[in-house]
Amino acid sequence: MLDKIIEKSRIKSPWIYHINAGSCNGCDIELIALLGPRFDVERFGVKLTGTPKHADIVFVTGPVTAQTKDRMLRVISQVPDPKVIVSLGSCPMSCNVFKGSYSVVGPLEKWVPVDVSIGGCAPKPEAIIDGLIKALDILKEKRGVK
Amino acid sequence: MKFPYIKEAVGSIFKNPVTEKYPFKKIETPEGFRGKIEFDETKCIGCGMCIKVCAASAITKTVENTEEGQKIGMEFNMGSCTFCSFCSDFCPKSAIHLSNEYSMIKTADENNMMVQGSFIKKLPSKPQMSAAKTGEKKE
Repeated sequence: MLDKIIEKSRIKSPWIYHINAGSCNGCDIELIALLGPRFDVERFGVKLTGTPKHADIVFVTGPVTAQTKDRMLRVISQVPDPKVIVSLGSCPMSCNVFKGSYSVVGPLEKWVPVDVSIGGCAPKPEAIIDGLIKALDILKEKRGVK
Repeated sequence: MKFPYIKEAVGSIFKNPVTEKYPFKKIETPEGFRGKIEFDETKCIGCGMCIKVCAASAITKTVENTEEGQKIGMEFNMGSCTFCSFCSDFCPKSAIHLSNEYSMIKTADENNMMVQGSFIKKLPSKPQMSAAKTGEKKE
C-alpha cells in the first residue's frame, strides 16, 4: 500500500538533469525559461537537480563534441534506471550545421538510446513542454505505474 | 517610516498569476515566426536552389525516371533545420513557406520531422529527325 503511494507520487515529481554537450546556449536558455514563473513546469512537479543521481529525466543539448562525449556518457550512466533521455533542439538529433566537423562526434542516437527528440533551433518553451509531457508518459510506462 | 512598495504588494494579492497555462490553453505565435516548413509541390520546379543555400544540408532531392518524365521528390528534415528561412527567401517560385507550427516531437511511435513532397517534371520531347533534313546535311 505504502509502496504504491510512493510509486505514484514519484511520477508526480520527475526531476530533470541538464547536460550541455557543446550547445550554443540557445536551447539551454529556453530550458531555463521553463523553470521561471512564466512557464513554470513545477506545475508538473519538474525540478532541476544539481546531481544526476537524483534525476529521472535527462535533457541533452548540443551536437555531442569529441571533448564532451566521454563526460556525457559518464554522467548519463550515473542516472538511475528507469530514466528518460530527451534530446533538445536540432543539434543532438542531426548535428545541425556542425555535421561533418572534425570535433563533432555525433548525433546523440549513436551513443545512447533517445526516447524523445524535440525539434527546433532553438525550440520554443511551449514545444519543450509538449516534449516533457511525452517524456512523463514514457517514464510512467517504464516504471509500470498506471 | 516609509513603505515604498506597499501599494504594489497589496495590489499583487488580487492579481492573477503570470504563469501561462500552456498545455491546457494554446498560444499564438508572434508575427513572422519561423516554424515548420510547408512545401507546395505544385509550385516547385526542382531547380535545387534551396539545397544550395541550406547551411545544415537538411534538404534532399531524389530523381526517379518514369514514363511520364522525371519524378522529383523533395524531403525536408526538420530535425536538421536551423529555421534560417534561406530556402523560402531564395525559392524562385515561392514553393517553400515557414509556417507557425512550433511543436515538433519525435518519439519511437511518431515522427513528424519529415516534410515531403513529390511531383512529375515533364521532359521536353525529343526532336524528330526527318529523312530529308539528314539528307541535306550530308551534301
